[in-house]
Amino acid sequence: MSIENVANIIKPMLEGAQVTVLLFLIAIVAAIPLGFLLTLAIRSKLKVIAWFGHAYIYLMRGTPLLLQLLFIVFGLPLLPIIGEYMVLDRFTAACLGFILNYAAYFAEIFRGGLLAIDKGQYEASQVLGLNKWQTTTRVILPQMFRIALPAIANESVTLVKDTALLYAVAVPELLHFAQTAVNRDFTIMPFVIAGIIYLLITMTLTLFFKWLERRFTFD
Amino acid sequence: MAILEITDLKKSFGPLEVLKNITFDVTKNDVVAVIGPSGSGKSTMLRSLVHLETIDGGSIRVADRYLVKNGAYAKPKELSSITARMGMVFQQFDLFPHLTVIENLELAPRLTKREPLDAIKRRSSELLAKVGLSDKSNAYPNKLSGGQKQRVAIARALMMNPDVLLFDEPTSALDPELTGEVLEVMKSLAEEHMTMIVVTHEMEFAKEVANQVIFMDNGHIIETGHPDQLFGNPQFDRTKAFLNRSNSKKIKRKP
Ligand SMILES: Nc1ncnc2c1ncn2[C@@H]1O[C@H](COP(=O)(O)OP(=O)(O)OP(=O)(O)O)[C@@H](O)[C@H]1O
Ligand SMILES: [Mg+2]
Repeated sequence: MSIENVANIIKPMLEGAQVTVLLFLIAIVAAIPLGFLLTLAIRSKLKVIAWFGHAYIYLMRGTPLLLQLLFIVFGLPLLPIIGEYMVLDRFTAACLGFILNYAAYFAEIFRGGLLAIDKGQYEASQVLGLNKWQTTTRVILPQMFRIALPAIANESVTLVKDTALLYAVAVPELLHFAQTAVNRDFTIMPFVIAGIIYLLITMTLTLFFKWLERRFTFD
Repeated sequence: MAILEITDLKKSFGPLEVLKNITFDVTKNDVVAVIGPSGSGKSTMLRSLVHLETIDGGSIRVADRYLVKNGAYAKPKELSSITARMGMVFQQFDLFPHLTVIENLELAPRLTKREPLDAIKRRSSELLAKVGLSDKSNAYPNKLSGGQKQRVAIARALMMNPDVLLFDEPTSALDPELTGEVLEVMKSLAEEHMTMIVVTHEMEFAKEVANQVIFMDNGHIIETGHPDQLFGNPQFDRTKAFLNRSNSKKIKRKP
């Protein structure tokens, strides 16, 4: 196979990879704060809010992400009356699906992080005169974040791989271009290249999180 | 006037009555040692004073203001300014693990006190020197021994300039060879006339440093008095029994 051939295969795949990375970034940047809000919701003293939070997480974790994506991209527009306002750009719709789904997983991760924080931290803060907001932002969140970091890293790698689900809702991304090239050129190379690109992305991510973990090791 | 006046304190956890009519006061510069068997309500009493527990009845007056009067608490806005007159040191230290020693000391004053930063910094380095940990200023808590952690916790509490410092078994979580360094710091505070209430199993410390000892049992204050009197000539059988038991435990512990 000539260099030119390889370049012809790789170029669209790199463009597809951009879509993959973009989706990843949008999803993670939005899902983490949303997940934290959900954590607060399920810990709320207001029963309705806590119940809503639990139900939401149960729904999102209890059904396949693929089903949720299909539902948002192809299902919502079919709804009577409001359906016609639900026709989103496919990429936007997919982002929405990923954000809503991953927020539920992040909420569970943060909940675990909060449970791991000793109640002495809250008591020491209170006796030192910190208010609830100061306690949360200066004492609890930094510790929760540190405890949750390995699980967040893990979930992020899963998210990278899950972006391949875009294939099913016909948003052209990395895998889509690989498949196209395979069909066109009858060569297995595009799959190999796709695998390598995914590996490069997840490796970068893993290195980044390792760095973060070291940066936030308190000793 | 007493700096702390505690009257008829009552507290239950569900059906369990933990504090039954606790009454005592603390005069400025007093060192009060609170002793008593496990489960007698010592921690609950101490925690009530800083509003870590909500009491069911009675009054707590701090200087000239009531934290709670006849079971009715001060307005939420005032609560923290009343409890701010007291500092507390916990058995488990409860340092902030994500902050260095110096950051542990400065976090609360920076966030809550309207006070110039350089005054805060000056005080934090003075207090670290006082507890003998100037060289640990930039260490994280998990690099410290238990005794060092507790000294940091004391310095952190002192940063808020409390009128009264409360200790809940400050040496109980420490290896025996590390209790001395913490007790030394507390002794030097007593010499500087810091007002303190110390829940403790360290009878020697109570004898040597306290000027008032309170013996609690089963939610009651059974007996209170000067250490010479309470340890030398206890008036009640329950006090005698408790002191005998803690003496014999100590003898047994010696190899
Ligand atoms: N949050 C709580 N909920 C229910 N019961 C509690 C709670 N805190 C304390 N208790 C109970 O109240 C009683 C008094 O507890 P407290 O911790 O005040 O005793 P203590 O004198 O400090 O004992 P120790 O010497 O073991 O520390 C105990 O029977 C304890 O089990
Ligand atoms: Mg106790």
